[in-house]
Amino acid sequence: MSCGNPTTEPDALMQRRKKYDKTKNCVRCKDAQGNIVIRHTVYCKNCFTPLLIHKFRRVLEPTVNPKPDGPRRTALKPAGNLVIGFSGGLGSSVLLDLVHRCYVALDKSTMPTEGGRDHPRHERVWKKVTVCYVEVCDAFPGMDDRTDEIAHFVSRYDELDFVPLRIQHAFDRTWWERMGRSTSFSDIGVGLADESLLIEPLSQTYPDPLTALRTYLSSLPTPTAIHSSIQALTRVLLLHTALQTGSSHLVLGTSLTSLAVSLISGVAQGAGFNVREESMEEWTPDPETRPTPDTVPDDGTEGARKSKEAKRTVRIVRPLRDIGMKECATWAWWSHIPVVGKEKWVWPGAKPGIGTLTKDFILGLEQDYPSTVSTIVRTCGKLAPKGEVAGKCILCGRPAQRGVQEWKARISIRSQPPPPPSDSDSTDAPATPAPVVPESKADTRPSLTPYLCYPCHTTLTSRSARPVPSPWPDTAHSSVAPLPVWTEARLGTHADVGVSVADEEEIAVAKKMGQEEMKGIVNEFLLDDEEAS
Amino acid sequence: MATISLNIEFGGGLELLFSNQRSHRITIPANVPVSSATGQTPEDSDVPSKPVDITYLMYWLRDNLLKERAELFVENGTVRPGVLVLVNDTDWELEGEGEYQLKDGDEIVFISTLHGG
Repeated sequence: MSCGNPTTEPDALMQRRKKYDKTKNCVRCKDAQGNIVIRHTVYCKNCFTPLLIHKFRRVLEPTVNPKPDGPRRTALKPAGNLVIGFSGGLGSSVLLDLVHRCYVALDKSTMPTEGGRDHPRHERVWKKVTVCYVEVCDAFPGMDDRTDEIAHFVSRYDELDFVPLRIQHAFDRTWWERMGRSTSFSDIGVGLADESLLIEPLSQTYPDPLTALRTYLSSLPTPTAIHSSIQALTRVLLLHTALQTGSSHLVLGTSLTSLAVSLISGVAQGAGFNVREESMEEWTPDPETRPTPDTVPDDGTEGARKSKEAKRTVRIVRPLRDIGMKECATWAWWSHIPVVGKEKWVWPGAKPGIGTLTKDFILGLEQDYPSTVSTIVRTCGKLAPKGEVAGKCILCGRPAQRGVQEWKARISIRSQPPPPPSDSDSTDAPATPAPVVPESKADTRPSLTPYLCYPCHTTLTSRSARPVPSPWPDTAHSSVAPLPVWTEARLGTHADVGVSVADEEEIAVAKKMGQEEMKGIVNEFLLDDEEAS
Repeated sequence: MATISLNIEFGGGLELLFSNQRSHRITIPANVPVSSATGQTPEDSDVPSKPVDITYLMYWLRDNLLKERAELFVENGTVRPGVLVLVNDTDWELEGEGEYQLKDGDEIVFISTLHGG
């Protein structure tokens, strides 16, 4: 092989790099010819199935018991039931299929052979399995409602309950009441027009959930913010459904590829502190909004009784996080799973957001350099974010990092006061540099900011320099946007430090830092008058 | 002109681009110009030819069966990222990808992993 011109010397053309290591035979059985290449490793069809099931179980089963197993593997006994978050996409379709095979239908071909006929693994792990689907079509113009198709897909699997929700349930007090939560809080919203995020009473009667949803989305500053918000609303809706069904586990169909996308796009939006939550997280409801004991469903099983008594926690697990999108597609094809699919979240004039751009990048990476995608996930798995947790974000329910607003105030240059008038007799003297101080109004009006995590605050306040077309331009623009019901409920019950309710119509927030305090922080950066002149 | 018959299947939402039809049975030339662009006929004695391969098939499908949004199927001379190709139930990466020489009766499956989303 020479390094000459390929046009005149055919041998000069470099051979195409193989997409697989060693031979075309299966690395597992070493016998059959391979059918699929997964990150340079070749598997035959017969070995691919147990491999996938092993990867699935390996992620899910250590999370089933409330406490992790010790040296001896014990039987799988979760504290409650199971909810499968279903989007209609490839990952959640494969997840549903695997959960049903392994834990409902008890397909013996999916179980390890050791242990014997009476081994506990042959019993049902979860007595009740619910599939929850959140329809988002009402958030985007022209999107089809796929609820019926999804219901038909789920009906292929027996012994599964189906709970369809709509994204606007996040703004629906009737739904909140069905979850067993108190609805005795006033109608409050947030001003999204500027970054103060002031909490104010809604100027009109609380709108219907659909109008509230569209008003909220139309008030968000960027397409990225709209995508992130819908993802967060969906996740919290699923969590409350898990709570209401007495479930201790919520499983999501995030594949290795999707996880890489969400990790990178999350970090790009400031969610580095929650990088671990992207893989697995535990969520507890806000104490002041917990349901009363008699609203917790009791189907008479041991699991339901324990879930009533124990601290209510929902563990979110992503069992497909070691399984790439290619493997999911192969499984779906070979298992004849008729995936419904999901539509892109687009609207007229919208540019791609961070999530869409990241997904395009990762998919391209996976095609040319498949191992890099798993490297992204492995590397993020090693990260241990610094900082302490200061409660849960009032919007997304994830841990919020302590000191975020103080840090933002320190690093941000918000305003520059006009320079002092110059002396006309000293034209040669250098102009007095204007002191640059962070904006620090003595503003005691209540704000949503202290309750938000960094990425949610950025989502609500980070604006594009260009005008952003709204998905619902005809929706009447309001200076005060409605909030999700769980956010309103938590504000309304004022259980957080520093919040007091003056009366039913007003919330007062204690100011944490005054103007003099702020000046004290930046004092070392201010020039003295003697130095300046 | 010698031809071969192929079974083509689309999955994962790709069928929506091909008249919402999952299965197609097609007939294409057995030998094609060395350049993958369709339009030149291999019968011209001056045009060098080669056995038909998947790259030619991909362009043939784009030009003859695809009804809309070609960019969702073909990109930069190959299938769009996120599209899985199986040749007789085997990953095309094991068969030389676009350079796999098609035979009469082969089944080629194109599956989108994106499922519209």
